[in-house]
Amino acid sequence: MLELTEIRRLKYLATLNRKKIIDMIYYGNSGHPGGSLSIIDILTYIYEKVVDLNSPDKDRVILSKGHATPAIYAVFNHLGYISDDELYTFRKINSRLQGHPVTSTISELDATTGLLGQGLSIGVGMALGKKLNNDIHRVYVILGDGEMHEGQVWEALMEGSHYKLDNLIAIIDYNKLSSLGNVNEVMNLSSLDKKLESFGWNAIEIDGHSFKEIAGAFDKAKQVFNKPTAIIAHTIKGKGISFMENNPLWHSRSLSDKEYKDAITELGF
Amino acid sequence: MNYELVSPRDYLGKLLVNLGKKYNNLVVIDSDLASSVRTDEFSRVFPDRFFELGVAEQSAMSVAGGLAIEDFIPFYVNFAIFITGTAWTQLRQICYAGLNVKLIGTHPGLDNGPDGATHHSTADIALARAIPNLVILVPSDIHEVDAAIEEAIRINGPVYIRVARGDVPILHKKECHFDTGKSEIIFDDGDDLAIIFEGSAAKQALEGYFELKKFGYRCKLVNIRSIKPLDEEFIKYIASKVKCIITVENHSVCGGLAGAISEVLNQEKHRPVLRTVGIKDVFTESGNATQLKKKYGLSTEEIITQVKNVL
Repeated sequence: MLELTEIRRLKYLATLNRKKIIDMIYYGNSGHPGGSLSIIDILTYIYEKVVDLNSPDKDRVILSKGHATPAIYAVFNHLGYISDDELYTFRKINSRLQGHPVTSTISELDATTGLLGQGLSIGVGMALGKKLNNDIHRVYVILGDGEMHEGQVWEALMEGSHYKLDNLIAIIDYNKLSSLGNVNEVMNLSSLDKKLESFGWNAIEIDGHSFKEIAGAFDKAKQVFNKPTAIIAHTIKGKGISFMENNPLWHSRSLSDKEYKDAITELGF
Repeated sequence: MNYELVSPRDYLGKLLVNLGKKYNNLVVIDSDLASSVRTDEFSRVFPDRFFELGVAEQSAMSVAGGLAIEDFIPFYVNFAIFITGTAWTQLRQICYAGLNVKLIGTHPGLDNGPDGATHHSTADIALARAIPNLVILVPSDIHEVDAAIEEAIRINGPVYIRVARGDVPILHKKECHFDTGKSEIIFDDGDDLAIIFEGSAAKQALEGYFELKKFGYRCKLVNIRSIKPLDEEFIKYIASKVKCIITVENHSVCGGLAGAISEVLNQEKHRPVLRTVGIKDVFTESGNATQLKKKYGLSTEEIITQVKNVL
């Protein structure tokens, strides 16, 4: 259980991280704000409460929806792995901050991603390897809801339950919007929980912006044996910036000067 | 030609079992074809280190990447067309990340004759060659395949090894040496022409060499061994000597060995004539592999015809 003061601290950090996301995309004049803002609460939680990057012995995190990489760069900036100045180099030439996450430039990342659909399979490989090595650490894979359209994801879902990978946790950022619009109108995913359960996964549905529910889901996943867990995180695309929320326009788009000012003002800066 | 003909594919299981004993972190991944690619033998000796992933090649490729991140040496063994074609972007991501994944592609070129054009892997070298960071080895006989796999383990990074299913003449001794990026000269009778071949076309190249010898041509027979990196210095040296280079490959004449060699020759001021023997740029058909190779352009006769057109 998270104490109220801890929830307040995490919320504050997530707000700081939202500001950094907006900065990166505004100054880089390119990027994906909507999906970065929908996943930032969960990523903030993971790197504050689950993964200790200072320890060589740690859980792994795969941002399979690699276009949300500003979110992970924001967290790494807070943790000191990316400098403040570097944030302004996002998506520009000669920068470590590539448009999608690459381990060769940011070694704190666990996987190179960006081509949708591949991350959960990489996670299956890691989870199989950890079982074989008697390594008790877990593998967390963050997927987009639009990414669930990829056939390879369902290959990996079969593999996860076939090999009883209880050390594998998929987190689906279910913000209901893909690039074009309503994800379920583009290609219907429902009922996602039933699909995942029928593929042999333990499905947990949460509000992906509630730290209490996030913490509860991560704790529950640890108590499940012989099957992997999928956390369906109901989120809001563009969460925290009212004019971006639930608007597919902000899937991939930079901000005008006025929009930038409005956005950071709303965040309290 | 008194060379023993053996399919290297048939020995893959044995080779991997031997390496599995030597390297505790070597694991094998399968996509429901273990009996066809002979890794079933590995699965019986090391069941815990063998991962059957079903008919899901794209996921299998990325799973191999995940295992490599956990410090295993994953060998993903499958038909060449699936490894390079079906899972191309997954392979590309592995190379982008520089992961220590080893790929063995069997049934290259027209080796999977009766299955027809769908399963003929005539573009795998082209597909693999366009990806940065990927080492591409094309060993010929069983002993060279063995040495190439050992060499692949010495390399820390992605390696694609192409292994013939068809019969390949035994050109090497057991425990031969294999250096990435180095080709080898099998015969050198003079400077009329050089035949440069990739491993799975060794039979046609060797027969072509002997036929040309009968006609009085002084020929060099070169085993390219490694497509990437390519032994550019040696190719340039050969080019400076001979009047004609014939590439021989069990692959499309587009983008494979012929492409790789011509990219080097094009940089040279004075260059010999290049003639390419390989599979024509068409979709093929079902049939006996030897007959198909003849029909679609990979044959001893085609080598002779090409040479006679030039010299």
